[in-house]
Amino acid sequence: MGALQSLHGRPEYLDLAEKTGFSFEQIRVLHERFKQLSHNEETLRRSHFNEIPDLACNPIRAQIIEAFFDRRNYHQNGEGTVEEIGFEEFLVVMSHFRPPSLHMTEEQRENVRREKLRFVFNMHDTDNDGTITLEEYRHVVEELLSRSGALEKETAKSIADAAMLEVASISMGHMEPDEFYEGITFEHFLKLLDGFEIESRMNIRFLNMDTSTLCK
Amino acid sequence: MELFFNPFDNLVCILLGISFTVWFTMLLVFIIVPAIFGVSFGIRRLYMKTLLKVFEWATLRIERGAKEKNHHLYKPYSNAIIAKEPTSLEQEINEIRRSGSNRDLDSAPEFEMSDIFYFARRGVESIMDDEVTKRFSAEELESWNLLTRSNNNFHYISLRLTVLWGLGLLIRYGFLLPLRVTLAFTGVGLLVFLTCVIGLLPNGRMKNYLSEKVHLMCYRICVRALTAIITYHDSENKPKNGGLCVANHTSPIDVIILASDGCYAMVGQIHGGLMGVIQRSMVKACPHIWFERSEVKDRHLVAKRLSDHIEDKTKLPILIFPEGTCINNTSVMMFKKGSFEIGATVYPVAIKYDPRFGDAFWNSSKFGMVNYLLCMMSSWAIVCSVWYLPPMSREEGEDAVQFANRVKAAIARQGGLVDLLWDGGLKRGKVKDTFKEEQQKLYSKMLVGTQEDRSRS
Repeated sequence: MGALQSLHGRPEYLDLAEKTGFSFEQIRVLHERFKQLSHNEETLRRSHFNEIPDLACNPIRAQIIEAFFDRRNYHQNGEGTVEEIGFEEFLVVMSHFRPPSLHMTEEQRENVRREKLRFVFNMHDTDNDGTITLEEYRHVVEELLSRSGALEKETAKSIADAAMLEVASISMGHMEPDEFYEGITFEHFLKLLDGFEIESRMNIRFLNMDTSTLCK
Repeated sequence: MELFFNPFDNLVCILLGISFTVWFTMLLVFIIVPAIFGVSFGIRRLYMKTLLKVFEWATLRIERGAKEKNHHLYKPYSNAIIAKEPTSLEQEINEIRRSGSNRDLDSAPEFEMSDIFYFARRGVESIMDDEVTKRFSAEELESWNLLTRSNNNFHYISLRLTVLWGLGLLIRYGFLLPLRVTLAFTGVGLLVFLTCVIGLLPNGRMKNYLSEKVHLMCYRICVRALTAIITYHDSENKPKNGGLCVANHTSPIDVIILASDGCYAMVGQIHGGLMGVIQRSMVKACPHIWFERSEVKDRHLVAKRLSDHIEDKTKLPILIFPEGTCINNTSVMMFKKGSFEIGATVYPVAIKYDPRFGDAFWNSSKFGMVNYLLCMMSSWAIVCSVWYLPPMSREEGEDAVQFANRVKAAIARQGGLVDLLWDGGLKRGKVKDTFKEEQQKLYSKMLVGTQEDRSRS
């Protein structure tokens, strides 16, 4: 129930702002949100995410929730999953959806793009071996499609297979009959999505956040 | 025997005696007697106006203090923090696909890898901000009302403001709280005692008349015990016998607020302890509907008892809160359809609290009942507005759910609250999987549609 607050007592936000690129105001708002979701505890668990009704509507909610607990998304070259996360990890994962700032060099833009695509890649690659196998890909497709009867199982399977074949043919060119397609590596993934403009698709715009300047 | 009463002690005793007498006389004259007769001296409204002026001054001081130190004050954003795209699933996915420059839309495969961006973004958007979760925590205020519980920041409070806050603390805990607790005990005690007495009378008009008077009087004392300043609108629509009164629910105080202006039959589960004593004595004077814990699950039994009560036109209108749980008074959530199935005339009532004086929302996961009541009694006041809406009945061809939604929309509109379709039970439970399947169905239909188009061409 904060009425009028200031950043005077929050030096840790400076650190987070540098790491994630969010403004102080956005960090403050997200911190309130974190506290709301975790019921004022220090850490968030998967069960807390499961309580959000809007998220329950989303077909790939399991993957999205896993993304928060996946250490590959923390930018620290870690691996594996954790059981609970603090505010810093929450913010770092959210920063993948940060709106792009206006003044960015080409290189920075490329980095941002790689980051976002890496996030999506990690979402597919659940066993963390660096490639998206046919099984993993099919699993994601099936999640998106309906299991409740609008599509038959066979149709869903064939759509997934067709998609995978398409991907294989693009990245490998012509395949020999007994060649085994291991899966999509991150480089292939980048190439596949080369033309798509994802910077604007994968970011969330904040409302009315005037990033005002504090006294220096 | 020594004289151990020296003159000083004597004086103190006399003074104490006089002040107690004065205190109780004032209590009687200014509070209890008006409560009995249902009149008001207007003291509370004067108090409210004074408080408002003080709060405005306090807010200005804080803002000025912040400006002097050249820091920027951030007001809370209680509405949406992110801009959600109003585009539909299909539109957005097609847009993403089209942006792949080296793809021709006609030869696009049925499933695109890029489709996942849409769902990922929507998912993270829900995590950042969703309509439902924020309804279950208290509303944030724009100005400071001198209560520590609604201000986290002490950096900008000048000396003058601190003094004022200290004075406020003294007044609230030293004067108002004991006064209110006394009144509360008086009100409840009188209720229990007098209803037991009335219960001894034979059933008839005299009993009903007396019971009405007693209930009203005791609830009015309780209203004063909370320093509740209530404005009733459209009293010509007040619920009549044989009807069902339906209202939005913010706190257990809602009952006291409504029952001090009219007589209702309450519905609820029998509790143990003090609550149970009150319930049992109330039912002696006039018929309320109390259920045993085991009976609550039996929906048919509940419906039958409600409709039996309704059919008897001599019995009072039933008061029900269909949301089933306390919501923080910024929105109205799904009404449970049970009470709308029994076919009675429904009298909707909208209750809106003014959060500037004290937050009436009961967050039952954070505070227990006693804690909550203490909080209420040590706030400045509870200010609220009650609107009696014109009666509604179920129309031809309308089922219970549609009727419930129609009533809910009317209440939300009148009270200036957001009308939500979500279930208040989400405060404690999870969303069903059927919602996820809806989205999946939508997406699959889109894909299958593309396939059909292609096979046709």
